[in-house]
Amino acid sequence: MTATSQSTWRRRAVRVLAVAAVGLAAVACGDDDDDGAEPGGSGEAPSGEGGEITVAIVGNPQMEDISALTPDLFTAETGIDVNYSVLEEGTLREIVTRDIGGGGEQFDVVMIGMYEAPQFGENGWLTDLTPYAEDDTSYQVDDLIPTVREGLSVEGKLYASPFYAESSFLMYRTDVLEAAGVTMPDNPTWDEVAEIARAVDSDQMAGICLRGKPGWGDLGASFTTVLNTFGGTWWSANEDDTVAEAQVNQPEFKEALQFYVGLINDAGEDDAANASFNECLAQYRDGKVAMWYDATVAAGLLEANDSPVKGLNGYATAPVKETDASGWLWSWALAIPQNSPDPDTAWQYISWATGPDYIKAAGSQISGGWAAIPPGTRASTYEIPEYQEAAGAFADATLEAMEAAPIDNPGTTPRPGVPGVQYVGIPEFQDVGNRCTEQFSSVIAGGASIDAALSACQDIASEVAG
Amino acid sequence: MQVDTVQQEPGAAPAGASRRDELHRPWRRRFPLLPALVFTVLLTQIPFLMNIWYSLTDWTIVPPAPRTFIGLDNYGDLPDDQFFRDAAWVTVVMTVTAVIASLVLGTLLALLLDRKFFGQGVARTLLITPFLIMPVVAGLVWKNQMFSGLYGVVNWVTARLGMDSIEFVSRYPLASIVVVLVWQWTPFMMLIMLAGLQSQPAEVLEAAKVDGASAVGTFRQLTLPHLRPYMELGTLLGTIYLIQVFDHVAVMTGGGPDSTNIPYFVYQRSIGGGWEFGKASAYSIVVVVASIVVATVALRVLSRLLQGEEIA
Amino acid sequence: MAGSAGARLGVGERRSVNAVMGVVAWLIAVLFFFPVFWMILSSFKEEQDANTSPKLFFSPTLDRYSDVTESTTGLLSFREAFFNSFWVVMVSTVVVLLLAIPAAYALAIRPVPKWRDVLFFFISTKFLPVVASILPLWILARDFDLLNTRLVLMILYTGMNLPLAVWMLRSFFREIPRELIEAAEIDGAGLRGQLASVILPIAVPGIAATALLCVIFAWNEYFYAVQLNPADGSTIPIWVTTNISTRGDFLAKLSAASVLASVPVVLAGWLAQKRMIRGLAMGAIK
Repeated sequence: MTATSQSTWRRRAVRVLAVAAVGLAAVACGDDDDDGAEPGGSGEAPSGEGGEITVAIVGNPQMEDISALTPDLFTAETGIDVNYSVLEEGTLREIVTRDIGGGGEQFDVVMIGMYEAPQFGENGWLTDLTPYAEDDTSYQVDDLIPTVREGLSVEGKLYASPFYAESSFLMYRTDVLEAAGVTMPDNPTWDEVAEIARAVDSDQMAGICLRGKPGWGDLGASFTTVLNTFGGTWWSANEDDTVAEAQVNQPEFKEALQFYVGLINDAGEDDAANASFNECLAQYRDGKVAMWYDATVAAGLLEANDSPVKGLNGYATAPVKETDASGWLWSWALAIPQNSPDPDTAWQYISWATGPDYIKAAGSQISGGWAAIPPGTRASTYEIPEYQEAAGAFADATLEAMEAAPIDNPGTTPRPGVPGVQYVGIPEFQDVGNRCTEQFSSVIAGGASIDAALSACQDIASEVAG
Repeated sequence: MQVDTVQQEPGAAPAGASRRDELHRPWRRRFPLLPALVFTVLLTQIPFLMNIWYSLTDWTIVPPAPRTFIGLDNYGDLPDDQFFRDAAWVTVVMTVTAVIASLVLGTLLALLLDRKFFGQGVARTLLITPFLIMPVVAGLVWKNQMFSGLYGVVNWVTARLGMDSIEFVSRYPLASIVVVLVWQWTPFMMLIMLAGLQSQPAEVLEAAKVDGASAVGTFRQLTLPHLRPYMELGTLLGTIYLIQVFDHVAVMTGGGPDSTNIPYFVYQRSIGGGWEFGKASAYSIVVVVASIVVATVALRVLSRLLQGEEIA
Repeated sequence: MAGSAGARLGVGERRSVNAVMGVVAWLIAVLFFFPVFWMILSSFKEEQDANTSPKLFFSPTLDRYSDVTESTTGLLSFREAFFNSFWVVMVSTVVVLLLAIPAAYALAIRPVPKWRDVLFFFISTKFLPVVASILPLWILARDFDLLNTRLVLMILYTGMNLPLAVWMLRSFFREIPRELIEAAEIDGAGLRGQLASVILPIAVPGIAATALLCVIFAWNEYFYAVQLNPADGSTIPIWVTTNISTRGDFLAKLSAASVLASVPVVLAGWLAQKRMIRGLAMGAIK
């Protein structure tokens, strides 16, 4: 028995070694990459004479495009190697916050949102970009859309340069509304929209798609704009912009939530408690919903060449009630951490990636064509003839939404923290927003009552005492 | 502890061994264990002690504030925390149902697969694959392609049978997560049971057959007792892993009162947006203490895993 | 009917029962495999096809595979991630076995005093929620300059899998008949000798199962990997999740990436489960 087991043992070892050898050969061949142990950048391919930077980004389509174009359009010109870390949004936020908050030096440039940028700037965690921006003529700092620039600044100091920006508006199927005999005004109110949605709602096609997925950036974003325009707010503010009291128990909040949930229940999409941007996109494209209130960037996807609903859509401004405008404002922007070892090189990259020249160069080179260039950041984008042609259906509506976003005064009452439309610019909002929207989403799913949810949320929000 | 007296006797030094041998013997026994033990102690206890230290402070990094020692304040706040209690309850329900279901299914499958039949290797490999998929991917595939109200395969099938579509993840968040967990962990249990079945001496079964024992009898009296330690092992290991489930919750339901378990709750308190490391550490230490209590009861009282038949 | 040691087909009746059981086994295997099958199917679809009503028939394309494996300078490529994962998993699993086999010996065959406490200690190291331990670990890794290296993951995965391996191997080693150990001892075999001649050959199914589980857990481990190695030394799970986007459909691409990521572990699973038809060895002992 020993003999047989030893020989099978040997056979097994040989097989394992064979697999290991094959595996090694497969990866060793043609694998240039080194495994650097230094934080802040890994040893990479030859042409690094200009330096090397590590950039953390989110994996959205526009970011993928630029990462594919970087070697040809940037590294070839400047000799600077760029290593991208593509992370999923939540993970990116965690890692970046911890890294720059903890004084780590893993990244030379980080992509952060409009929510974090002013807060991190105030904390002293980011390099002030204003001197760089003003000295760099190719960057054209005055070309930035004013609301976007303001959203990323604190007291006039720009802390992050916008790569991508979006507002929100209402998209609707012109053919469906026409067939039902209703017209959508250009600047509708929520009551009008609700009426239209209920009118066109049918078994085969829901009236409207609204986000319902828990998360401060999912249901939270969409609902907060409704809350704002209904005259409600999350917290009241003290004179010095600190948090005073939670306002979840106020009648306006309940009214807004009842409206939102009611509209979804009556005329909303299937599986609403799980629906965010991607889910509504799929349903709208499939003809399962007639209207959709969400990010302006959706229009690009709806009017893409392979979209089944291309050419069938109308765009109205984000519905209002008691305010003049209610579209949200969001941007993914590039920032330089305070401890970055080489801010000058980092700025060189940022200047290229968020400057007007990249946008012009990208249009003809990315797979989505001109309609897929990073939107919403610069006025010059909207003057490019090719862009106007490719994105004609929605470019104007987008620009209008971006410029009208009420970043300074989103609702009817003052808010604590730094400016923000679909969020409250305090660090605790992320957590409070997450936990409260979980409650609200449960209401949408039919698992909880509105009053229970509101009461739980008031407790949660009250933990953030002024 | 009575353990010690039992230990001395087996493997005792042969007659006539010197006294020095007697002294060395316990260390000769310990020696093979030391590398693993030292490694584990260093790697796990240092972070654990750091967590204990953090739990005694009010450390938050956003908004940045100096870290001060506050003693047991974090622990004092715990009993009032309704959300923590809810999360604990969800954890218990999720873990218990998932472990039991996957254990039962895994054992049945192992018994089924233990015999020779056509394409046995392929069938086994197919059955292992759910366990090989990343939890994040498994959660997304099940949520969007199996369970989805509009586009899911399950609803497609039930629609053919004339039933209304059910929004599984929205209406039954915890159950949906448990289904995916059972799907992924049944192969784990199956693997352990299979390995256990392999080690059952064939001659005992032959003897039983020769003696005229029925199939069911053989199973009940020979196989099941033989499998019992493996089932206990599977339960123990499965529980340890299933308590830590995180990705499925994050990806399928994003939290919510019905499906937030302890790991997700701690995540939300710390790097998931709360940034309150002091509090999060306190929650974690409480979890560790509770787990130690439960495990002690389970292992030393209920199960036979730690009962040695010493070397006979 | 529970029989190990493979069926020796004797009477006709047993043959047909076996065949029926075989069919049942296949049915269940197919059912369990179905969601994976569906995922594989999605990997050959266009995004629009993958995100709409279930389609069994569609025009397949390999575009998703080329999308995810296309290698751009500066982006984590499949090759690099595979290389990192391969080494991390290989080394950590080997180290785990090297540490756990002697430890299991010392807990099962020649138990140390307080072996119960030792076992309990090992399993207790897994009680601390991973999301809590990440913070001290990150701080330590940063201070020792180990962020974004393969070494840090090798260390962590070894520590992560060691309790599992110790417990499992100990259970399998306990099955080994005493007489064989003592016979080997009488022959003068020390620890290594006993292992080589008696223990390892018999415990092959157990070792295979343990090694397989360690490989699977290490290969698919995402949390530690992404928190400690986001910029470099990134592993396959990180590579797979780079395909997730909040502004656009991604399920088909994710499926393709996941299929590619699973191939190595499926292979490992296949190899390991072959080792577990070794019941014959047991029967041949006496």
